[in-house]
Amino acid sequence: MPKASIRSMAAVVARHALVRGLLALCMLVPLGTMAGCRRTGEPTPPDKPPPPQTFEDQAPSPAPDPTGPRVLLRGARVMTAAGVVYPQGDVLLQGDRIAAVGAAQSEIDDAQGYDRILDLDGKVVTPGLIDTHSHIGVYASPGLNAHEDGNEISAVITAEVRAADSVWPQDPQLERARAGGVTTMQILPGSANLIGGRSVVIHPLPGLRSVDDARFPGAPEGLKMACGENPKRVHGDDGGPTTRMGNVAGYRKAFQQAREYRRSWQRYRDKKARWEAKQHAGRRLDDSARDDDDLPPEPPARDEAMETLMSVLDGEILVHVHCYRADEMSLMIDLARHFGFRIRSFHHAVEAYKIADRLAEHEVSASVWADWWGFKAEAYDTIRENAAMLSAAGGRAIIHSDDPIGIQRLNQEAAKALYAGRRMGLTLSDDEALRWITANPAWALGLEGEVGTLEEGKRADLVVWSGDPFSVYTLADLVFIEGRVVYDRSWAEQQPRSDFEVGLREADLRRSRAPSVFPPAGPSGRSEEPR
Amino acid sequence: MIRWCSFPSPARTATPRSATALCPTAAPRRLGRTLRLARLLGIGAAVGLSLPTPVEAAPARAPKSARAPAAPALSFDAPTETATVLVGAQIHVGDGTVIDDGVVEIRGDRIVSVGRERTEGSADATVIDLAGQRITPGFIAAAAPLGLVEIDLEKSTIDAERKDEHPVRSGFDVSRAVNADSSLLPVAAIEGVTSAAVTPRGGLLSGQVAWIDLVAGDYRTIVSRPRIAISGQLGQQVAGSRAASFAALERALDDARFYRDRRAAYDRRQTRELGAHRLDLEALEPVLDGTTPLVVHAHRASDLMALADLATRSGLRVVVVGAAQGWKVAETLAAAKIAVVVQPSANLPRSFDELGARRDSAARLHEAGVRVGIAVLDDEHNVRNLGQEAGIAVAHGLPPQIALGAVTLELARIYGMDDHYGSIAVGKVANLAVWAGDPFELSQVPTQVYIRGRAIPMRSRQTLLRDRYRDLRRFESPHSR
Repeated sequence: MPKASIRSMAAVVARHALVRGLLALCMLVPLGTMAGCRRTGEPTPPDKPPPPQTFEDQAPSPAPDPTGPRVLLRGARVMTAAGVVYPQGDVLLQGDRIAAVGAAQSEIDDAQGYDRILDLDGKVVTPGLIDTHSHIGVYASPGLNAHEDGNEISAVITAEVRAADSVWPQDPQLERARAGGVTTMQILPGSANLIGGRSVVIHPLPGLRSVDDARFPGAPEGLKMACGENPKRVHGDDGGPTTRMGNVAGYRKAFQQAREYRRSWQRYRDKKARWEAKQHAGRRLDDSARDDDDLPPEPPARDEAMETLMSVLDGEILVHVHCYRADEMSLMIDLARHFGFRIRSFHHAVEAYKIADRLAEHEVSASVWADWWGFKAEAYDTIRENAAMLSAAGGRAIIHSDDPIGIQRLNQEAAKALYAGRRMGLTLSDDEALRWITANPAWALGLEGEVGTLEEGKRADLVVWSGDPFSVYTLADLVFIEGRVVYDRSWAEQQPRSDFEVGLREADLRRSRAPSVFPPAGPSGRSEEPR
Repeated sequence: MIRWCSFPSPARTATPRSATALCPTAAPRRLGRTLRLARLLGIGAAVGLSLPTPVEAAPARAPKSARAPAAPALSFDAPTETATVLVGAQIHVGDGTVIDDGVVEIRGDRIVSVGRERTEGSADATVIDLAGQRITPGFIAAAAPLGLVEIDLEKSTIDAERKDEHPVRSGFDVSRAVNADSSLLPVAAIEGVTSAAVTPRGGLLSGQVAWIDLVAGDYRTIVSRPRIAISGQLGQQVAGSRAASFAALERALDDARFYRDRRAAYDRRQTRELGAHRLDLEALEPVLDGTTPLVVHAHRASDLMALADLATRSGLRVVVVGAAQGWKVAETLAAAKIAVVVQPSANLPRSFDELGARRDSAARLHEAGVRVGIAVLDDEHNVRNLGQEAGIAVAHGLPPQIALGAVTLELARIYGMDDHYGSIAVGKVANLAVWAGDPFELSQVPTQVYIRGRAIPMRSRQTLLRDRYRDLRRFESPHSR
């Protein structure tokens, strides 16, 4: 699929009654001619926030590239995260997409028809894992002063900053996340600010020279907001806010400004349209009737922070709110409704279980840990059953990491949450728990049409596990991103490595060749070994 | 408060230092936690931790021959008439042996028999059939300030560190502060953690470790034995250079020896100046004698080599906690009989001291002959994940029975408590966990935990909160939207 078209879709879509008619049209026009489709200009009624945009809304997943290499994963237990588990299944990859998923064929009719067949008897295949909450790259390892790039605390609202501008692609945490089966991750600014800035969604690929080499093509951007203790603690002695009510006043003020900013642009566009009509009318009459001194209206000043918040109001940027307590999450849902936007996910949300019904009703996901607690007062009420209780109430539960160790075993964290739920008597399938780390985070990132399940047409991001992904003993054997093997456990010490650790191991110095940047030859991988 | 300034040393005057360098706040081994918390809390991590300037090493002296004081009794040890017999389970003793369809007999707080058959003495006992289940020793939380910490960011709830500019705080006895009502205790206990080596932090020598059983609410006897070890740490942050940190440690030990041998003279003010308060030096005596261990948090191979040298020269019982680079010097650690406590999931180069951290370090250390313990470090709220950490070690090459030992018997040995704890053996405290399956698996929590012979209530603040919100219809109100 051409990258540009996904990106433009992402920018366009708001499945609003008013827009719906335009949608088809917008989908046909190429990028760059989308001005008319970009925003409707209609303020969203406060009581009707636009439903969240999704890839699914935009376009059906494209057909696999018929010229891409065909790789058949054979005979593994296939957990699709789409409601189906094949005890013995086949997954066919073609190029960067999944071409087919189904029960294992007893025989392969035409082995010649495949570029590679992997026999995976005894293994388990799942979608690639997705983390909605990481600071890899913006808070890199080692934790040096020089690597403190996650919180722009020079102001309490920094909607203008973008995490992408902080990401250090040589962070050695990236390859460790990859080894844990993570294929998509959202890198967020920290939570020191009421509004911390834009996130970036990446594939943790090897051989990155800039964050742009890793960006998930066309992924919507996210906005990081933060409730509770952090903003008031960080800014309390430096201009405030000093209280939770001060926090909320701060969000309101910012979004009210964004509304006014949007209005000023709307006024400008209206004026410009009238001016253009007048010029046009003048041209049709005769030259003498034209007023050459009638200059076009001046546009308002562009403001990056306001652009970000306006895009939130327009449903183009997905909102992620760091929020622990049930009462604060409830307040934030109300605030978002008031301003006519939706919150995609509450992050940390240790009290999601107290308002599972409300989160389900308002279609806000919760990105939670399996068991972190007690590091501050607002994290005191954690329970192990949090994700399970939300899930059972019909909500979208997500297990996130917020941690470079936790991101390496999202499957284990999901397992702890799953079994805690079962112990309290909830009926939860393995597939449901798998969705907590695949399909649901894909939804929270607006990527559910692209990744998160093993279904035909989705990107070929998947993990081959040594066994049950919910066992502590299981390891990722193979990790595919867009059809390429980016991690293979058998590579052992020859794993692709980012620059930082190169030469810091004595063994490196004894080898004549530098450590690998890219994977060795894989089934369909880019294969390079430095000479 | 004891102030650094009241114990001048020649080295100090020769070393320029800023006023801020006097106040150790966070310590190197807290760095990882500090970084993690800082991110979580939305602040830049305080990496430039300010810590005091070192003193120079005094020449090492031969240790005085070790005295052999009788092991003190535990705080409880009150025999009762209650007797329980657990039958039918597979017993994982903790020392590597496994007894199928075994019998564990408990009287009062002790194990009175372990084997295949019931003994005659158990006729009056309550019999509990555990067919198909497994019994392991209760897990032990090493190097954790359990009972000293409630909410990390709320200072009023933290008793883990002596606020002190002096880096030698060995007299800081945390057994005085253990909170038997801490919500952390049941949270850990119902997942199989039955004892903890309650460990202070901060400074060079942080204080005295206390052994507790996780008997919630029992203020009278929760501390099984106080002052079982001295905890400390090495690294650059302690004294501006890791060499200076180590020298400061050696000096403290030397002063402690000097004080021990010339106590009367000291009291008559007929000795040289000492680098620490006499009570802090006195607290080091059992370490000098080799009766209790010196438990040092350190990561870099050079620090571990220095500790190995110290252990070999002085006969001190040295334990290293953390040890990210321990695998690189495993043979040296084994030769110096230094036990190592690791966290298997910690595979990040979080600092330059931790370059090379790897998940198979427990296996590598074990293969080299090092005694290995496993711990959840710097996260006392989640010491319940000990089984998961042990599982991660197994997934990376540590034999399962060794991993079980690493969360039970080895830790009891490390802290000198193996006469009473760590395995399912006659005479030991009946701290047991009963499991329906593999205790390291993520699907498993104990079906029942016994602490000091008693089945504990399998409830915590967290399970009670869960039950309050089990049915949200209760909360619907006319004001709800």
